[in-house]
Amino acid sequence: MGEVELSCLAYAKMYLHASQFPRSSVNGLLLSSSPAGAAVCITDCVPLLHSHLSLAPITQLALTQVDVWCSQTQQRIVGYYQANACVSDSSPTPCALKIAEKIFEQCNNAVLLMIDGEKMFPGCRVPPIVMYERKDARWALKDKHTIMLRQWEETCSIVNQLFSSGDQTLLVDFDSHLDDITKDWTNQKLNAKIMELISPANGNV
Amino acid sequence: MRDKLRKWREENFRNSEQIVDVGEELINEHASKLGDDIWIIYEQVMIAALDCSRDDLAWSCLQELKRQFPDSHRVKRLAGMRLEALESPNPLWMSTQQAARKRKISILRAQGKSSEAIRELNEYLEQFVGDQEAWHELSELYINEHDYAKAAFCLEELMMTNPHNHLYCEQYAEVKYTQGGLENLELARKYFAQALKLNNRNMRALFGLYMSASHIAASPKVSAKVKKDNVKYAAWATSQISRAYQMAGRGKKENKCSVKAVEEMLESMQITMS
Repeated sequence: MGEVELSCLAYAKMYLHASQFPRSSVNGLLLSSSPAGAAVCITDCVPLLHSHLSLAPITQLALTQVDVWCSQTQQRIVGYYQANACVSDSSPTPCALKIAEKIFEQCNNAVLLMIDGEKMFPGCRVPPIVMYERKDARWALKDKHTIMLRQWEETCSIVNQLFSSGDQTLLVDFDSHLDDITKDWTNQKLNAKIMELISPANGNV
Repeated sequence: MRDKLRKWREENFRNSEQIVDVGEELINEHASKLGDDIWIIYEQVMIAALDCSRDDLAWSCLQELKRQFPDSHRVKRLAGMRLEALESPNPLWMSTQQAARKRKISILRAQGKSSEAIRELNEYLEQFVGDQEAWHELSELYINEHDYAKAAFCLEELMMTNPHNHLYCEQYAEVKYTQGGLENLELARKYFAQALKLNNRNMRALFGLYMSASHIAASPKVSAKVKKDNVKYAAWATSQISRAYQMAGRGKKENKCSVKAVEEMLESMQITMS
């Protein structure tokens, strides 16, 4: 199937989200600001929940709000990620499959990304992710060679920098937003910090 | 002595005081003679030490294990257990047996063995029926297993013994909403409303009230009166949500995005409802 590219920004925020709640399952949505095409470019993500992932009301609410925000900002929801509380099991739960199905209804190359908790330690050589795509009416493992994480080493280094500067605490997920609505689930502040760290690596001004 | 420890290990005895007595002596006096057995003894003694609130002993065992197995997940879990033990209610009033059983359940949970954890927790609650934390944990386990009816039962227990707790009301409402169907939606709406009565700043309850009332109003099966009432509830919820977000957004440039998203969402849902 098509290629999937995962940006540093999206990866970093997913990683931070899973790290922030190490003993809970967490989930979120994967977004793209690129036009629809054969390849999927995951340019950002929105961390959603860290409790009661399988209960409907807050999930529905979050999906609706993110949808609205996406149309305001020319982005699309192209996938879903989840990290299970039990690190030794990174297979998609029924709840993950359900939400991924919903996303697939609107986006025919949607991806389902599971974070592999066992590979989330510093110095790990491979990205701790497992990706699934819709094939023959089920979600099948995606060929690793079609998944691209540009500048993997720089991405790891950026994540480490976020932890050492304490900026990982800036991450707000939708659950935390509902506990305190002055917190911004679109994470503008954290996004800016991450983009600052990325630019020197790309040589962009 | 080490045979005793082995026997207790193999038969999963939770005689923590004895393990601490025997184990501590073994470690302090005879460590050199234990060979590779020492690591599993450290683990066994550490867990028993936590049961007996002997954090000094637990800490030194953990340090030895960390030194020998620096990247081990098993050791990390032990460290987590120690933190859990330090956070949990004072073991002085909770018997060793009680604490040990709860710890066993936490371990099962951490290992992903949900059905076993559920079974153990049910047995535990037969004996310690007043343990709120245990009831809540059981409700969470059932929610993760999508057994919403049983989760609702646990939350009902909690609401009965904690009638002023808005969180239990709101979680119960969420479970009912998830179960679906008109009757459950109406129950959900009632309990979201109850949660708001207890705490009018519970945003989940506010949104929940809005969504359940909207769904009921949109259902073809309800009478005109029920529809009218629910439209009113939803409208009230909308105004409260808008007000809350306006107050939150004041002066904070960074959350203008989330505020705008809510405003537009409420607008678009109004249109579909009418």
